[in-house]
Amino acid sequence: MKLSLDRKTKVLLVVFLLIYIFLGILNAIYLSKQSMSEAFKNVANRWVLKLPFGQGIFSRVNPLTIFMTWIIMFVIIIVVYRFRKPKLIPDRKQAALESVMDFVYQMVEDAIPDQRFVRPTFYIACTLFLFIVLSNILGGAIPGISIEANAQGNIEKIHLFSDTWFSPTADINTNAFLAVFVFLISQVFAIKSKGLKAWAKSWFEPIPFMFPMNVIGELSKPISHSLRLFGNIAGGALLTYLLAYMAKYLFLPVVLWGFFGIFVGVIQALVFTVLAIAYISSALS
Amino acid sequence: MENGPTLAEALIQMGKFIGAGICMGAGAIGPGIGEGHVGDGAMQAMARQPELIGVLTTRMLLSQAVCETTGLYSLLISILMLFVL
Repeated sequence: MKLSLDRKTKVLLVVFLLIYIFLGILNAIYLSKQSMSEAFKNVANRWVLKLPFGQGIFSRVNPLTIFMTWIIMFVIIIVVYRFRKPKLIPDRKQAALESVMDFVYQMVEDAIPDQRFVRPTFYIACTLFLFIVLSNILGGAIPGISIEANAQGNIEKIHLFSDTWFSPTADINTNAFLAVFVFLISQVFAIKSKGLKAWAKSWFEPIPFMFPMNVIGELSKPISHSLRLFGNIAGGALLTYLLAYMAKYLFLPVVLWGFFGIFVGVIQALVFTVLAIAYISSALS
Repeated sequence: MENGPTLAEALIQMGKFIGAGICMGAGAIGPGIGEGHVGDGAMQAMARQPELIGVLTTRMLLSQAVCETTGLYSLLISILMLFVL
């Protein structure tokens, strides 16, 4: 692969790499003195913010998830703004984006039986794929700022370049929202496609006795759908942290392992998208 | 032996570690068998029809990722046992 960078980008990259190596060496000197149980004491805690209103679980938010979701949305909006007027002869970046979209569109077109719902499903699937790919790669391969919290949810320490960025998909709430959203969309599409009566009847097939089985089968879909992504990304982030600890917080050897993080992240985003399309198409047929 | 852990604390620690080990070890059996089956089928299909290697590789990775789910559940549970409980 031949990269053609201009002078400004080269200077920026070199400055970033120097800062990164400097902070990595500082981390290696200061943080590697702590023992393993000390380094992994707060690995399962999240920074929690209490809202002044609401009660119970509705008064707690995870600020890191919200920030990272906004950042990813911002990146996607910038990409969309840049490619809002597609050129007739595509350059390299536009061709890459077009091939991704074409790949998703082929899958949707093969799976959805009803022609009217091909384009809405394509919009949903493509949005899911872009969002999840970006957040998975952020959480699996790119070192950044991470926040360590204690068991009460308050900030204890802020680390620079000792862990990867926090990925929104490493939080079960984001995944549960996406999965429930896909579930509701599939039911709405089924009602629109078949009519309310045929949709209600489809719950009692093949015999009315099977109604509870159908309900359980439908409700188990979003659960396994969300937990699959959560397990992959949260486990991957933890493994990255473990390897970073073993390499004394110098991320340079772990960059090789970043291949695995990127690979698993892309595969899991693809799996989430394919399963969303399959659930929608099974509700429609 | 004044500042050491009591017997109950030591037993709890022991239970956590043994439980996490069993959970991860037993949970890795199923995905291993499943992914092996998928790889077996894909290899045979590729040997019969080498021109379909591109399509088959994508599908193979996809179904292996689905097979891996239960292994990841046990990974999560063992992590919870070790670090949270």
